[in-house]
Amino acid sequence: MSVLSHSENISVILSLGLMLIAARLFGEFFRKLKMPLVVGELIAGVVLGPSLLGYFYPNISTIIFTQNEHAAIALSGIINISIIMLLFVAGMELNLSLIRQQGKAAFSTSVFGLIIPLAMGFAIGYFGYNLFGENSTDKIAFALFIGTSMAISALPVIARTLLDLNLFRTKVGSIIITAAMFNDLIGWILFSVIIGMLKGSAHHSLLFTLLYTIGYALIMLTAGRFFINKSMPWAEKNFSWPGGFLSLSLGLAFLGAAFTEYIGLHAIFGAFIIGISIGDSVHVTEKMKDNVSQFVTNIFAPLFFVSIGFKVNFLNHFDLQITLVVLILAIVGKISGAYLGAKLGGLSNKESLAIGFGLNARGAMEIILAILALQAKLIGEDLFVAIVIMAVVTSVLAGPMLNWLLKPKANTIETN
Amino acid sequence: MSNKELTFQKIAIAIAFSPRCEAMIAEAKLLQQTFHSQLVFVHVGKKSLQEEQYLKHLIHRFNLDGATTKIIWEVGDPVETILQICQEHKIDLLVAGALEKEGIIKYFFGGISRQLSRKAKCSMLMLTEPKIHPTGFKHLVVEGTDHPKTEYTIAKAVEIARAFGSKSIDIIQESDENKLALIRSEEFKEKEADDHKEALHKEEDEKLKEILRCTDCGELIIKTERIEGKPGYVISKFSRDKEADLLILNSPDKPMNLLDRVFPHDIEYALSDLPCNLLIIHSKDSE
Repeated sequence: MSVLSHSENISVILSLGLMLIAARLFGEFFRKLKMPLVVGELIAGVVLGPSLLGYFYPNISTIIFTQNEHAAIALSGIINISIIMLLFVAGMELNLSLIRQQGKAAFSTSVFGLIIPLAMGFAIGYFGYNLFGENSTDKIAFALFIGTSMAISALPVIARTLLDLNLFRTKVGSIIITAAMFNDLIGWILFSVIIGMLKGSAHHSLLFTLLYTIGYALIMLTAGRFFINKSMPWAEKNFSWPGGFLSLSLGLAFLGAAFTEYIGLHAIFGAFIIGISIGDSVHVTEKMKDNVSQFVTNIFAPLFFVSIGFKVNFLNHFDLQITLVVLILAIVGKISGAYLGAKLGGLSNKESLAIGFGLNARGAMEIILAILALQAKLIGEDLFVAIVIMAVVTSVLAGPMLNWLLKPKANTIETN
Repeated sequence: MSNKELTFQKIAIAIAFSPRCEAMIAEAKLLQQTFHSQLVFVHVGKKSLQEEQYLKHLIHRFNLDGATTKIIWEVGDPVETILQICQEHKIDLLVAGALEKEGIIKYFFGGISRQLSRKAKCSMLMLTEPKIHPTGFKHLVVEGTDHPKTEYTIAKAVEIARAFGSKSIDIIQESDENKLALIRSEEFKEKEADDHKEALHKEEDEKLKEILRCTDCGELIIKTERIEGKPGYVISKFSRDKEADLLILNSPDKPMNLLDRVFPHDIEYALSDLPCNLLIIHSKDSE
């Protein structure tokens, strides 16, 4: 087995240390400005990556981060594991029973908040293919990706915004959370199909990709979830706890990820579904989830988001036209879909618009989706930068817009 | 809330000619005596002379024959027929025997009691161990979740507890940890997250206090407890651990179907493995 040399070891460790500290410093700075932590983490990557440090001091940047190939591969492996763990935690945060229990308003908001941006994204992605720069030539997969990226929402950003505005327990808050969960669930299933289409086209057809995706999700969410739930008390009794939960849950997540990667789907999908199955167990407490979540979101998430700045030169690949197309498509599609759904569900104009803006926040999930699409060569770097900007702008917009639309009437909003 | 709304004026008892039939009638007698209710015995199935005579004999034995008791025999689908009878006769409480736990196939496709509990438009009492010499309910555990139906459920629970001479009831506030988990994102400082959580709990506590302030509890001691976990599951577990003899829950917001059993939530956790007798309170105001 080959190992990293002395200098390669130092390079990897140094990179990790610098990335974590820079992510925290920039993240906290942007948090103070009432922006999501992820914005600061991304900017830390831009500062340390080829866009700034690499541009002005290429020698320093090369020495620290990409001095040799082996160190870069090791770092890339850690980043890949980070994405898997991030999706696992995102899955744990999904609440299947909340989705099942949703009332008429939440249901119509979920459905329209998904279908309208998905359809608009697909149509513009397919018929306006040239508007998005140089991307995959598989127009259907590309258009499906644009649709999916428009349909997804960022649950943690939304939850934080609702709490800050004291809207978490209102009817509007509940609808936003439920619809965001539903959109994420369907969004990641769709994305898995798209990646499967690209990866698996040489081995199996679209029909098999669909069958594998739906089959895996169904089996894991029913039988898998049942066995995980049943085995939790046994594991708790026989293993040190909650330490055992940390290793077992992440172990299962990696096994699920390996399995889906093996059958031609993306590894993240396996981890995401395992996350839902584990998070749904009645034996998994908030504290146990918190342990995993803190570990992943404070170590691996920053590494991942900082690394994005290393992969892409944001300054070189910024394209105003593509950014505007993506931004307008995202905002118009999501807000109109969610607004229509909420209106059909019996909410007022202002409440429906507020729900639209709430669901419009894309946050970290959108960025993960985009980086995976970039890695799969489904999109080019120009479009990637545009999607990242869209994710940041929509997340930053959500709070002030919800505040403007609902805050003066917060006392009168029906509580759930 | 008027006194009229707080009583079970008409009680229907779903009768099957099983070994527990006699015990069910004994329980019905106790309920009738406690709430001064009219009783309607319902059996769905072909009428046979032997069964008819047996039922009449039991009713006579428990001194239930008279103007306040009615027997209905119908043929058809047991669940739909019983539900229809309940609606036609404006039944306030439907009583049926139920196994603590059903086999997996029966659970998913539905035993009669559980199907009734998911669809009934009136309150329903599921008796896991009906007794020939019933003692009533002494240890009641009641749902105290922040929900529009909870006020009615607590009022009803207090009345039942007082009617049976219970000394205290436990009201359980279940904190949906899935929602609370969202608070603990990387965006929050620990204290900030705790403050948000505390504020949410305080709001719920205030609402419960207000409900209790408006409820005539008499000498009854009300114990409230907050438990974090999945709603429905934690209260069932609490009832089992404390060996309660009656668990009182709000009725589901919408009819439950197979998907609710596959992806269980709330009352389905209790129905999947009944911890004790279960009373589902259907608030007519919330329809």
